[in-house]
Amino acid sequence: MAIDAGLLEQADQTGRALLRLYRFLPSCLSLGRNEPARKRYDRDAIARLGIDVVRRPTGGRAVWHEHEVTYAVAGPITAFGVDSGRGAACCAPTYRAIHRRLAAALRTLGVDATLAPDRPPPPSTTLHRLNSCFATPVGGEVLVAGRKLIGSAQLRHGQAFLQHGSILLDGSQDVIRAVSCRPSAASGETTLSAVLGRPVTFDEVVDAIVRTWGEAVTSTVLHRPPPSSTALFLDPAWTWRR
Amino acid sequence: MSKTPSDLRYTEEHEYVKETDDKSVVQVGITDYAQGELGDVVYVDLPKLGATFGRMDVFGTIEAVKAVSELYAPLAGTVTAVNPALEGDPALVNRDPYGEGWMIKLRVKNPKELDQLLGSEEYKKHIGE
Repeated sequence: MAIDAGLLEQADQTGRALLRLYRFLPSCLSLGRNEPARKRYDRDAIARLGIDVVRRPTGGRAVWHEHEVTYAVAGPITAFGVDSGRGAACCAPTYRAIHRRLAAALRTLGVDATLAPDRPPPPSTTLHRLNSCFATPVGGEVLVAGRKLIGSAQLRHGQAFLQHGSILLDGSQDVIRAVSCRPSAASGETTLSAVLGRPVTFDEVVDAIVRTWGEAVTSTVLHRPPPSSTALFLDPAWTWRR
Repeated sequence: MSKTPSDLRYTEEHEYVKETDDKSVVQVGITDYAQGELGDVVYVDLPKLGATFGRMDVFGTIEAVKAVSELYAPLAGTVTAVNPALEGDPALVNRDPYGEGWMIKLRVKNPKELDQLLGSEEYKKHIGE
């Protein structure tokens, strides 16, 4: 999280767009920036299961990061040929532009990935109560046969944005249900392995994204986040602030 | 077509400024266009009473669906009120952005800054309506 937050700072300061592909080790539960986590999740159950928890700087709901490719894109608000402007109301064009690129990469693997319509019907009260990021697709998200394959969230800061998300390789989001205080319905995700009927590796998805991204992608040394952001994401007062 | 009342002033970042009965205090929120583009608002993070801001300082954040965006103070000033109803019902911003969905009230430091804001026709042009 600290590295992603550092990428956002870097994008805001330099105007450069940055792509990062990574994975979590150990597996981890991430919470959305403003999720009411203290009443939504059972901290005793989380401790009992030995689950690492981090609160993201971006919005959205909980994600269980286990079998996935995690991506982060930080860039100026004019990146990807989209002048999405500053302030509220402007995230959707960038959200869609990044998802179009990711969907194109997945199609090279044989996945029939499409983007959800911009204005889906508003979720019902029941759906609002679902805790997982993958519970309900919103406009511009990547779907396969109507099920969500990539869960993403965004933060806009100054003249830049950070969008990061999970491309599911395998497994499920059932951990979220297991640590939720209230029973919730099954999540609506799918995975690349389920779609293609074979194991899909981290490396082949990363290769597909790098191959199709559009601009030159070069390996870089690991970006070192400022110590202040590392401290923030390690602080339980941030993780459990709501 | 979104609502852009002619008696309000606007920023390019989609905040509005509305006069109140107290001539030195204005009401601030986001526009009808902004709430429509954002979608369902799920959380609004607002400052504490007495907080002071310069013009275009970030005074809070708003989360809708998956994105967290910054809110900018249209004018320099001191926060004299924060809408308590948004804590329990942030969707008020969607339902009534210029009324019950207001965010903060600001005691304006420099009234001349009002001249730097957009009028409704300028704001409509800015959003392409």
